[in-house]
Amino acid sequence: MAAELIRITGLSYRYPGSKKWALQDINLTVAPGELVALMGENGAGKTTLCQCLNGIIPHSRGGRLKGRVMVAGLDTATTLVARLALKVGMVLEDPETQLFTTLVKNEVAFGPENLGRPAGEIRRTITWALEVVGLQGYEERPPAALSGGQKQRLAIAAALAMQPQVLVLDEPTSQLDPVGSSEVLAVIRDLKERYGLTIVIATHDSETAAAFADRVCVLKEGRVLACDSPRVVFRDRELLRQAWVRPPQVAALADYIQARGVDLAGFPINLPEGRRMVTELL
Amino acid sequence: MSLIEYYPGHTFIHRLDPRVKILALLLTTTAIFISENFLVIGVICLTVFTLWLAARLPVRVLGRYFKLLLGLFTFVIIMQGLFLGGPTALVKPVIPAAVPLIGGLGRLSLEGVVFGILLSLRLIVLVALMPLVTMTTPIHLFALGLVRLGLPYRIAYTATTAINLIPTLEKEAAAIIAAQKMRGFTVFERGNFGQKLRAYPTLVVPLIIGAMRKAQLMGVAMDARAFGYSTRRTYVEDIKMTAGDRLVLAGVIGYNLAILVANFVL
Repeated sequence: MAAELIRITGLSYRYPGSKKWALQDINLTVAPGELVALMGENGAGKTTLCQCLNGIIPHSRGGRLKGRVMVAGLDTATTLVARLALKVGMVLEDPETQLFTTLVKNEVAFGPENLGRPAGEIRRTITWALEVVGLQGYEERPPAALSGGQKQRLAIAAALAMQPQVLVLDEPTSQLDPVGSSEVLAVIRDLKERYGLTIVIATHDSETAAAFADRVCVLKEGRVLACDSPRVVFRDRELLRQAWVRPPQVAALADYIQARGVDLAGFPINLPEGRRMVTELL
Repeated sequence: MSLIEYYPGHTFIHRLDPRVKILALLLTTTAIFISENFLVIGVICLTVFTLWLAARLPVRVLGRYFKLLLGLFTFVIIMQGLFLGGPTALVKPVIPAAVPLIGGLGRLSLEGVVFGILLSLRLIVLVALMPLVTMTTPIHLFALGLVRLGLPYRIAYTATTAINLIPTLEKEAAAIIAAQKMRGFTVFERGNFGQKLRAYPTLVVPLIIGAMRKAQLMGVAMDARAFGYSTRRTYVEDIKMTAGDRLVLAGVIGYNLAILVANFVL
């Protein structure tokens, strides 16, 4: 078995009743512990690609799938979604629809209960998962009473409770206010740095991608235009323009300075690097 | 507040094993449908309302629902009176003889009216009975009760999740009406019956489409957490039938047997 956790080869997918391919000939590998950001305008195929990773496509959605998606050694086309759930945790965009129980603790317990884990173990899992996302003490509250950021962190805890090898987050912050958004991003950073979890995140936010991602994959009309380190991707103005991806502000500034003929040693893409650049220039 | 939402409390009814409550609901519902005697229905009525007080449930809410049902009760009583027949006529003819063609028709019988009242009383007891279970049992324990009574957990969970969605749908309907109001559409506030009827699709269509989309996403989220993975699902919070629960169950069975006997004797 190769070192990668996710291997996608020649993946094309068409939704039922649609003539257009939502994904076309995608080839992508993700190594254990890597954080890959999927970027691109609405309709570029980010959500579709995310749903291919845990088998919701094609199992729940139907449609036509070509190529192969292997996650942790399992072929998603032939493995049940419930079985893939052991390997891939999923957090959806809308914090409301993915929480369906009446208490925070039941929400986290739902997955392990489905797996038939013993009650004592589930109780420990609840404590652990809520601690990871900073929601300890909220066990007896109804999810409906939480803020958007808390709901999204609860959704992450519920996914973590399955102890997956990969966490897929589909635009986890797009419906949140800035405070909620930064709460969720702090949790994601923690998961990567402290727990070494493999993470795939679809996002519109290039600042997030520049700060966290090991690689940024840019999608347009179902194709991968580029998949490289954030520095390479955010430096490529032509690529970003083509895919309608806004560069991080620091990268835009660096670009502007370079265009004025100033020679920069490195190409800064996030805030710490930007600060260093400005200090050096001054 | 709806009659199926959980109303937190610590009374003995709240603490009762959900299985006992579900069984009691089934048995008593059957007993109510069998009962045709005013005295028996009256006794059940009294029992149910005593239990409402014992569970400290908000009786006001019940009053509001009865007000809504008043029209239905009137309709049932009049229809039974007109069409059930019986030896004693209360009003005859219903339509005065002076009216051309249909004059002199119709007969309102006492027996029909009495039976209509009995049906209405049954409805009242049924409407009051259900919340004694739904309002005193958290929905996850209700589902667990159903599972422990032998219902497959996929069915139990799908049903209870649907119930859980009702408050969300109510909120959504309110949002749609608010959005319509903001654009000057006030039929739901000021319109007459016909106008309201014609306007309903503008509310119901977006509501149903929204609900279907939500249900689909929820299905995705449930699948992603291994819903249906194992036939031996575990429960972090399990229910245990205590001696007290058994005693109450025996009491409920005895009570319903007594009702059955009373129906034959009286």
